[in-house]
Amino acid sequence: MSDTKDVTTTPQADSGSDAAGVPIVLEQVSKRYPSAKSAAVDEISMEIPAGEIVILVGPSGCGKTTTMRMINRLIEPTSGKIRIDGEDVLSLDDVKLRRKIGYVIQQIGLFPHLSITQNVSLVPRMLKWDKRRINDRVDEMLMLVGLEPSEFRDRYPRQLSGGQQQRVGVARALAADPPVMLMDEPFGAVDPINRARLQDEFLSVQEKLRKTIVFVTHDFDEAIKMGDRIAVLDQGAKIAQYAAPEEILSGPANDFVEGFVGQGATLKRLQLERLETLDLRPVSAADKTTSRVPINATLHGVLDEMIATAQESLVVVKDDKPIGSVSLDDVLARVRELRAEAEAKEGA
Amino acid sequence: MAVQLEQRPLDEAATSIIETGLRPERSFGWRDLVTPAVCAVLVATEIWYLSTRDLDAVEASQLEASKLWDQTIQHIWISLAIAGMVLGVAIPLGVLVTRRRTRWIAPFVLLVGNVGQAAPTVGLLAIVGGFWLGFWAVALILGAYAMLSVLRNTIVGLQQVDPGVLDAARGMGMSPTAILFRVEFPLAVPVIGAGARTALVLAVATVPLGQNLGAGGLGATLFAGIGQNRDVTIVAASLFIAVLAVLMDWVGAMVQRLLTPKGIRAA
Repeated sequence: MSDTKDVTTTPQADSGSDAAGVPIVLEQVSKRYPSAKSAAVDEISMEIPAGEIVILVGPSGCGKTTTMRMINRLIEPTSGKIRIDGEDVLSLDDVKLRRKIGYVIQQIGLFPHLSITQNVSLVPRMLKWDKRRINDRVDEMLMLVGLEPSEFRDRYPRQLSGGQQQRVGVARALAADPPVMLMDEPFGAVDPINRARLQDEFLSVQEKLRKTIVFVTHDFDEAIKMGDRIAVLDQGAKIAQYAAPEEILSGPANDFVEGFVGQGATLKRLQLERLETLDLRPVSAADKTTSRVPINATLHGVLDEMIATAQESLVVVKDDKPIGSVSLDDVLARVRELRAEAEAKEGA
Repeated sequence: MAVQLEQRPLDEAATSIIETGLRPERSFGWRDLVTPAVCAVLVATEIWYLSTRDLDAVEASQLEASKLWDQTIQHIWISLAIAGMVLGVAIPLGVLVTRRRTRWIAPFVLLVGNVGQAAPTVGLLAIVGGFWLGFWAVALILGAYAMLSVLRNTIVGLQQVDPGVLDAARGMGMSPTAILFRVEFPLAVPVIGAGARTALVLAVATVPLGQNLGAGGLGATLFAGIGQNRDVTIVAASLFIAVLAVLMDWVGAMVQRLLTPKGIRAA
């Protein structure tokens, strides 16, 4: 590597203190290909708040990936402005820009000829971190994504399962502690069970790190689960609706969004409601035989358990100890409340 | 259901898709010694045979040990020089052909490569020999003949690198040069190496054809044997050339495997 030392991209912070996210602003960003009749991305404008996961979701070919790839300039915008933390990315050197932006893709793209350590340390090495700091950082990142460093450091990608590979992919993207991460269907190639686990783990990692994350998916359920906000995109990356998941589920802006949300919007809405928000009933003697749900379950999960066990009341447990009970009526009451809230919002 | 289907975890399936698609190179082992051992036996047998035979004066002078040895060394150097030239030209051309900006040269480059291989070597040597003699004349013609194998393998080797790996490399902020030298070449070593070995073997095998242009090497003894109708000489020279070609390919294979990154070698 013949890169000259880049002053702006040499963070001096200790590896312990992670940089939180910064806002990203798109202003009338377009991408036109000379051969195509219509623009792939047509004047998209959006603000991505610092520290949030914003999901770009839409049918294939809607321009969601193109939009994301313009943020780190893997695709050059035809027109418009993109600012990261106020800085116009089009005025920066594209290669150096990308070292400050984490990048995770569906194909994972680990370097098969490099060990896990070499993969994870790639960007820090390009940024000329000192050796000790890099080694500490690699271990820290592997631990963060749930891989025991002593076991995985010296392995090669092909010796890992798909789920483990994508954990390394996430660790690699986070290694240089970028304030911004771009993720293109990152869990798309992983089987459903591992996908759910990776999603959960990533959310808990994000809770600590508070990066600004642009996350592309075509799976609306994933969007609901992962997103602080969701931008539903139509052809040409036209924003059909840009709102919190709850809002999109309870009040889709138009037929396109409604179609994309699909069947069972109410049930999906309950995936976002935690059991913790309900007032629990005391455990009665009659509840002894009923099934249990953990306090951190979603109402969707509660309902599912009730249907699965054909019981109208479940014991709620925390750390395996019963702390109360919840009934079908409680859940339905909450659904009525949510509906009223949504109607009030629409009326306003 | 009576049929028990083998259940492969999705995870594992995903892994094999994500893998480079390269046939992994295996590690070193005793099997690698088979080729040189067989060659040694062949050469020893031939030497023993020659020593038991009454050679006439012509044969004895043609098969003088120190002369054969010098020719062999010369032969190796000429072949290596040709192969080196071929690599020096074909690999950069292969890189240019696979870069977006210079992709347009592909048809021209492949045309030259194809003509070089398709043109009858012996004919070219005869024509060129009419006005140009010596090492460089031979190296140029034989190099042109061997070039296509390296060129084609360089192109294929670079093209078969997983696009996801390249996208990740670019997305992480590697420069195009860094991607070429630190990602593409290492992953293309097995394929480019195979092409280089083919070029080397072609060079060893065709150097004797350049004898009339003064190329040197074991071709001198071979053609002396043919010219004076000495079967013993012809067989001996042919055998040494063949063994040399096989051994050079073997050395090439070892070097290729050594250069192949551990991560894409089979365990």
